[in-house]
Amino acid sequence: MSRADGPDRAGLGGWLRGWRPAVSMAARNLRRNRVRTALAVLGVCIGVLAVAALGIFGNVLALGAADAIGDIGTQVVVSPNNDAGVDSLSDADVADIRRAVGSPAVVPLYSDNAVVSAQNDQQFATVYGVEEPALAFEAAEGRLPERHRQGAIVGAGVAEDLGVGAGDTVGIAGRQVRVVAVLVESQTFSPVAPDDAVFLPESAFSADGYGQVLVVAESGEAARTAADDIREQVNAREERVDLFELAAIVDEVNEFFGLLSTFLLGLGAISLVVAGVSILNVMLMSTVERREEIGVMRAVGVARRDVLRVLLAEAGLIGAAGAAAGTALTVLLVAGLVVSTPEVDAALALDPTNGYYLLLALGFGVGVGLVSGAYPAWKAANERPVEALRS
Amino acid sequence: MYSVELRGVTKRYPGGGAEPVVALDDVGFAVEPGEFVAVVGPSGSGKSTLLNVLGLLDDPTAGQRLLDGTDVTDLSVAERTAARKRSIGFVFQDFHLLPTLTAVENVALPTAFDPGDASDRAADLLTRFGLGDRLDHEPSELSGGQKQRVAIARSLINEPAVLLADEPTGNLDTETGESILAEFERVKEEGVAVVAVTHDPLVKEYADRVVELTDGVLVGGVPAGDETPPETARGAEAAAAGDR
Repeated sequence: MSRADGPDRAGLGGWLRGWRPAVSMAARNLRRNRVRTALAVLGVCIGVLAVAALGIFGNVLALGAADAIGDIGTQVVVSPNNDAGVDSLSDADVADIRRAVGSPAVVPLYSDNAVVSAQNDQQFATVYGVEEPALAFEAAEGRLPERHRQGAIVGAGVAEDLGVGAGDTVGIAGRQVRVVAVLVESQTFSPVAPDDAVFLPESAFSADGYGQVLVVAESGEAARTAADDIREQVNAREERVDLFELAAIVDEVNEFFGLLSTFLLGLGAISLVVAGVSILNVMLMSTVERREEIGVMRAVGVARRDVLRVLLAEAGLIGAAGAAAGTALTVLLVAGLVVSTPEVDAALALDPTNGYYLLLALGFGVGVGLVSGAYPAWKAANERPVEALRS
Repeated sequence: MYSVELRGVTKRYPGGGAEPVVALDDVGFAVEPGEFVAVVGPSGSGKSTLLNVLGLLDDPTAGQRLLDGTDVTDLSVAERTAARKRSIGFVFQDFHLLPTLTAVENVALPTAFDPGDASDRAADLLTRFGLGDRLDHEPSELSGGQKQRVAIARSLINEPAVLLADEPTGNLDTETGESILAEFERVKEEGVAVVAVTHDPLVKEYADRVVELTDGVLVGGVPAGDETPPETARGAEAAAAGDR
């Protein structure tokens, strides 16, 4: 802006040196009207608090949801496509699926329905035939055999309803079978519904095709790849199988929480914009009041750039002070929330991604100050001193 | 060589009607180093405009302006600011000190954004003007005469060629005004040209030369015996220097 101020001020060092007196003068100017400054700082503080707190709130919700959904996204359920006249999946289909997906475990299931009875109760349940239950399920009680040769594995819901545990005996379709394990209650929704099912060895079934095939991957990403591979290879010529992919649901859930976070951030941003308007107002008022002073500075040889710096520093200091206070308040608020609400997992609140929202809000606070201060500063710095001094 | 010089300077403002207001009408004005010139005239005669044009706060509509022999008629905003800082000191009727700064900081204000610390120089100047015990006082803690001394010290911080004073005694009682004028005498003895625009008859007593401005027309603007400055060798030299 004022290149003629001399080459001795070139370079980063000179640039920074120019800011030191500017910030010092700015701080003194802000102290002249403490109430007004404090109110502007309070405005930014509230705006930053809103952005940071709502941002972290949305993030904790999303993290909590991701936690609750757990490994929902790692399974793909393959079932025969009834519409294409496929009633069951053959060994060849299972082999195709194995070939298509590669490393993820493939667990084919026979399925049927039967009445399951205990000593004094009975209920209708899905009965699956499975050879390698340990690949897809977890036992809460007892142990899942590597190869399922005998006995029944009971889902958590059935076990609870019938009041049976490992070592008890249940009647399935009239035959007495010993319970070798009870499954962990499943956290997820799945068409397999293991909670309400009983798992028997494959040998208990005389069916000639599988009802479902479970593909268990290491991660949601791998599950999605596996599902795509099956679609491409197994369904290449004929739509033989239907896929139920939980990863897609996880994506939708994540998308929802992403939207929620953005919405909450937007709400916070509105208050920050209001704070920006109040800084704009304060700076305009203060530059009008100090018109003469600024004129004197310009008259005695202070460059426009340096006047601009002083005024920008004032707005920046308001923004920075408000942002710092708002960030500190947010930390206190979140800490208070974690302490007072046991439902909120402290680990979620301490998640490093929340720091990102703190930094974002801090940056926004300072940025709002600078942006709102820019116009009044520019206006004041560019006023002709002769006009400003004519009073 | 004059410290500051105007040649045929005209300043017109767009007035309310169709006719522009002529604030300065073909004014020739020159001040030698170490000379104290008082500009007098009724209100609205163009005194402030003359001072603003001399002080590079305002540009002439026509004519030539020289500072220390250098043509400074057409400068960019930044160049004018730099030239003001380097060569011109201002003293105002209302002192115009920054209320948040101490006396020393006010004196050093023109250099506040430069590398290096001018505080020592500022303190020396204040001591010279008898304010050695008021260095860290803010303007609100100073009397009118003390404030004006701080303002004079501020105008001298960069060792200017010209000191321009707008009604320097206007807000002071006679006694204090006289002491301020005595300070101007000391300033001019150091080779600084002093121009004071004033209503105060007292100022005339201290001035080496009194010029009168009436409706934009200046009488006696150039020192006696030197009435024909234009188109001389010195003028050409100055114009060449102005290109640097």
